Amino acid sequence: MQISMREVKPMSKSDQTIAVVGLSGRFDAHEVPQVRQALMQATNRTKGHVVIDLGGVNFIDSSGLACLVQGMKYCREHGADQILCNLQQPVRIIFELTRLDRAFKIMVSVEEATTALAA
Amino acid sequence: MSYEDYQRWKTTPIEEQPALSIVIPAYNEEARIVPTIGAIASHVSSLGIPWELIVSDDGSKDRTVQVVEELGFANLRVLRAQRNEGKGSAVRRGMLAARGKVVLFDDADNSTPIEEIGKLLEKINEGYDVAIGSRAARGAEEANKSLVRRIMSNGLRWIVASVFSTGAHDTQCGFKMFTRDAAQRLFRAQTISGFSFDLEILYLANKLGYRIVEVPIAWVDAPGSKLDPTKEAQRFLRDLVRIKLNDLRGIYANA
Repeated sequence: MQISMREVKPMSKSDQTIAVVGLSGRFDAHEVPQVRQALMQATNRTKGHVVIDLGGVNFIDSSGLACLVQGMKYCREHGADQILCNLQQPVRIIFELTRLDRAFKIMVSVEEATTALAA
Repeated sequence: MSYEDYQRWKTTPIEEQPALSIVIPAYNEEARIVPTIGAIASHVSSLGIPWELIVSDDGSKDRTVQVVEELGFANLRVLRAQRNEGKGSAVRRGMLAARGKVVLFDDADNSTPIEEIGKLLEKINEGYDVAIGSRAARGAEEANKSLVRRIMSNGLRWIVASVFSTGAHDTQCGFKMFTRDAAQRLFRAQTISGFSFDLEILYLANKLGYRIVEVPIAWVDAPGSKLDPTKEAQRFLRDLVRIKLNDLRGIYANA
């Protein structure tokens, strides 16, 4: 799995930075430790919101889903928010079948997510 | 790939004979099976053919049966089993219950990405009776396989190649496709209920003159394997002998 991270400064009243974490490949238990670390780093570094771009992920198993739930909790504990975006169809369906689409904020694109977080 | 195709498959029972049946054997898979079903349903619904999915439970002690039934998919059947008899038993029940013109069995952990199905379908359409996913064929990709499993796999492959003429280098990959005729005939003759059933099926397929092709596929060693490699290797070697003895005793004569 490949993980990328960048920081975005949206045009808004606050000067808060948003971290955009991009994941690609198969997201299963083998990948959880590095993704967990990346999500914690993202929250710690920006002290702010995190957008997870799942555009390159073609399969996510229950360990991957649990990792994202942990990331969301970690974000909230730090007074921030996490948004998932750019879900491929198989991943979107997996979120629906596990009903986790109701637990996460999911948006179409990184731009939509960063705009929502900056508002 | 269209979301509407998936929605239609999920909600509308197919009336004609399915072009394809997919069988997933499952034992205590409540945590892993739903994402696998999601990935399969998403990809296969987009192929534009009528198809059905069968989850063949192997006497799970967890909520595998309930979580699958709760999905409520129109073209998904769950076969229940009273007790745990082994993967071979679950696959056999699923393959014999399948209504498709072509039947694939696939592991519950999605260790072979379902996107690989097209390679096997292509071979069946070319006239092969049995198309098997292979981690040993040239061009295959294996990921995350532990050293122990790697050594054991290679050792067993060497023994199988030396003793048996199955026509395959990798007999154990859980991604195999059959024509309906081959599936019905081979799985009716199957005697082994455990992990080595694949070997018996391929041995029989070869003996009965079915056209077999090995297709290189991508494969990921999904975490949470329920196999104890040492015990399974011992059982595998015992089953090798058993298959040979079965043949010598004429047990496969009526296949």
